Amino acid sequence: MGIEKFKELDPIYTQPYDPTLAEKLYNPEKPMENRITDIGPPYFWQFMPPVIQKNYGKWVSHEIIQPGVLKYKSETGDVVYVVRCGTPRLETTDYIREICEIADKYCGGYVRWTTRNNVEFHVTDEETLKALIEDLKNRKHPNGSYKFPIGGTGAGISNIVHTQGWIHCHTPAIDASGVVKAIMDELFEYFGSHKLPAKTKLALACCLNMCGAVHCSDLALVGIHRKPPLVEDERLEHVCEIPLVIASCPLGAIKPATAEVDGKKKKTVRINVDRCMFCGNCYTMCPALPISDGEGDGITIVVGGKVSNRITPPEFSRVVIPYIPNEPPRWPTTVKWLKKIIEVYSQYANKYERIGTWINRIGWERFFELTGIPFTEKCIDDYRLAYTTYRTSMHFKFTKHVDEVFNAPENYKVELFK
Amino acid sequence: MNKEELKQKIIQIMEEKVKKGGKTKIYLKDLQREIPDANPREIKNAANELVREGKLEYFSTGSTVMFGLPGVGMGLEAGVEKPEE
Amino acid sequence: MGEVKKHDTPKVDQLKTGPWPSFVDDIYSYAEKHKNQACFDIMGQMELSYTNKETHWKHGGIVGVFGYGGGVIGRYSDQQEKFPAIWAFHTVRVHHTAGKWYHTSALKKLCDMWDSRGSGVVNFHGSTGDIILLGTVTDQLEPIFFDLTHQLHWDLGGSGSNLRSPACCMGKSRCEWALIDVQELDYELTMAFQDELHRPAFPYKFKFKFSGCPLDCVAAVARADMSFIGTWRDDIRIDQEAVRAYVRGELKPNAGAFSDRDWGPFDIKKEVIDLCPTKCMYWDENEQKLYINNSECNRCMHCIAVMPEALRPGQDTGIAILIGAKAPILEGAQLSTLIVPFMKVEPPYDELKDFIYKAWDYWMENGKNRERIGELIQRVGLNKFITEVMGLTPIPQHVRVPRDNPYIFWKEEEVEGGWTRDVAEFRKRHPA
Repeated sequence: MGIEKFKELDPIYTQPYDPTLAEKLYNPEKPMENRITDIGPPYFWQFMPPVIQKNYGKWVSHEIIQPGVLKYKSETGDVVYVVRCGTPRLETTDYIREICEIADKYCGGYVRWTTRNNVEFHVTDEETLKALIEDLKNRKHPNGSYKFPIGGTGAGISNIVHTQGWIHCHTPAIDASGVVKAIMDELFEYFGSHKLPAKTKLALACCLNMCGAVHCSDLALVGIHRKPPLVEDERLEHVCEIPLVIASCPLGAIKPATAEVDGKKKKTVRINVDRCMFCGNCYTMCPALPISDGEGDGITIVVGGKVSNRITPPEFSRVVIPYIPNEPPRWPTTVKWLKKIIEVYSQYANKYERIGTWINRIGWERFFELTGIPFTEKCIDDYRLAYTTYRTSMHFKFTKHVDEVFNAPENYKVELFK
Repeated sequence: MNKEELKQKIIQIMEEKVKKGGKTKIYLKDLQREIPDANPREIKNAANELVREGKLEYFSTGSTVMFGLPGVGMGLEAGVEKPEE
Repeated sequence: MGEVKKHDTPKVDQLKTGPWPSFVDDIYSYAEKHKNQACFDIMGQMELSYTNKETHWKHGGIVGVFGYGGGVIGRYSDQQEKFPAIWAFHTVRVHHTAGKWYHTSALKKLCDMWDSRGSGVVNFHGSTGDIILLGTVTDQLEPIFFDLTHQLHWDLGGSGSNLRSPACCMGKSRCEWALIDVQELDYELTMAFQDELHRPAFPYKFKFKFSGCPLDCVAAVARADMSFIGTWRDDIRIDQEAVRAYVRGELKPNAGAFSDRDWGPFDIKKEVIDLCPTKCMYWDENEQKLYINNSECNRCMHCIAVMPEALRPGQDTGIAILIGAKAPILEGAQLSTLIVPFMKVEPPYDELKDFIYKAWDYWMENGKNRERIGELIQRVGLNKFITEVMGLTPIPQHVRVPRDNPYIFWKEEEVEGGWTRDVAEFRKRHPA
């Protein structure tokens, strides 16, 4: 089929939407009739404003003139100003329409989103920029939250990339949008300012499938389960393909079995709970193995990862708090610890140090001491490649942990995160 | 093996599996294992063409996609009892 | 349509306040304005989840529209009586544009379509990159697809064991550090592999991501089975006068990224020279001149990011290809591994497509069900993947460090005289 690589706006978008057309074209008896396939997304060029088209590949430098506001200079002498606003990612078409209204009013109808769920408005003169910023600041939801908070640049906290959570996913251990809202409300000042030692990227994944790069974030939250799946003997053989379920377990903890339900033999499975690592992979393959549990599920906090190659190579985040219970609607314990980590980092890190590079300089033992996060055996890896994380040198620091355990072991208590 | 033969072979494999009371949904990989003399990309193309012809249907496990005979085994709306209208 | 039924949502309502944009206020405003029962029901179900701390969604086998094996995720509520309007609440993935630029005429038309055929709830954007339309019923899936393709010239994104919707950074559209045209590359590969994107082709999911430079704003190295990252191999361009302007404090270091805290006056030695990971830079105080030993530079871009007006990447640019990143399920998280350190790319990118097919063919043939390509490489060994699979010559850049054990899988043909030996001959030399 193929649609033209439009360099100018495809005229189809100027025609109004016809809500009755599809029913005329689609014939359930002949599903291939009138079907257009494999056309891909619209060609991006038609959606870029004239100043961007003209200066494509010609930009020479940029400057953040205030948090959330950038100025780009081109070798042609052109400039473009960009206002970056955080969005909640989960939104309605009315919110998108409001973005369109703003883009129509100030930006000739062009708008862009960033990888981290920010929306960006582009203007070419300072007067329009001022009016745009003023307008954005004054747009609020009925209960007072900003619709378009300006920020997300430089040495601050970026908008959180996250997953669906309880609003739309079938495997989550935690909510996503609600947790993000609770965190960003508390860390709001850092989104619209440049006062941290470096850029700090936050991410949230509501289960271990992690449909986002949370494993390489400065600070990330991961939803985890802590109870093995239930086995619905009665239903399992009807809704699951047993060989697939068995194959889905990374630790081989699932075995085929038969069970008697109401005098009838049923094919089912048994789970070796001692080997279960609560990954939920089996539930992904079989709805008769529900794993979610209000008491069992909760949040793991991981820190210190990054993807940029700046100064040091990309790195994984590491588990520092293995479990915090779900506490809707505002997850106070999770928010408290995140804020604590940010504040300690802000106080002790050098300029340009990301959370991970700061910790690598001071040592993890110092990180645990400074933040007051209790260290437990749960933070010691026992999965694949665990050995690479053991300390095999004399390079360590004497923090309070040594004193407490080796000089006065009776004083040492593993605190629970409650 | 030409495409038509390959398509026939795929249907035959699926039907045999159902008859044996085994799996009703299979992965592309399983088809490839059953037809070792065909190139995986050709098997993929043949299976996808069978879907377009309505002789096979896709089934989602959540993160992966499987192939099945229409109306056999778990339905497309698995585990969902439609409410009385 | 009768009266809408509202639910009491005291917990969810607590997310209406606070400065960060409230999705609850947004959804409720929409629900009230459009008398949209699905939006009231979804908030009601959310409240139930907030009460018992568990999700109330279940999964159905739906994958897409006719002939597509991806782009739609089937979703059903397990609270059919309480929240009938969201009994079926499927997700539709709409393929985002390269660089996520849009014109409002297209977005508004998309909104009109979604108001008419779905819940009005969306994600801009989902984790992989697509625009996500949340919540419609099975009967609307085909009409949505016909509307998208006929009235919006827009296609679905990938899901399941397909190629997932590729994603890139803003690239040359706005960034002076874009070393390759990621948007064009993203678009061209997306179009070249439409079949793989819409129909199951692989043992599991496969992701492409394109970053214009090693700062990697789309997290390609962490998220993509095949990560394409821009780089250069000539010299960093230096404007010595601008360097001096930074040293004199006339230009804001790091483009103003540290503006809200007093870090003291800019110190080029402390902030640039000493932080250079390869120590390949030198600031001559007398000459007031910056020297870079470019052959020792590993292109981390720190100096460029600190002094963007003075330093620019080189002009002999290309891509590096890294393979195999993934989230922890199953074998643990992986970052992508460097396979091709530098490659010149030009439309129509045929050389690149050949490279991709080579990797795919091997994975399709040898990958196990639900085994990502990064896991396959681990299983067969990086050395075998580089040499036998991709037909490349191994170089030290492929590893961080060489192996620490000598348990090498020598092949018979590599050993003088082969492996067939005569025991009698051996015993002649060494009586038992």
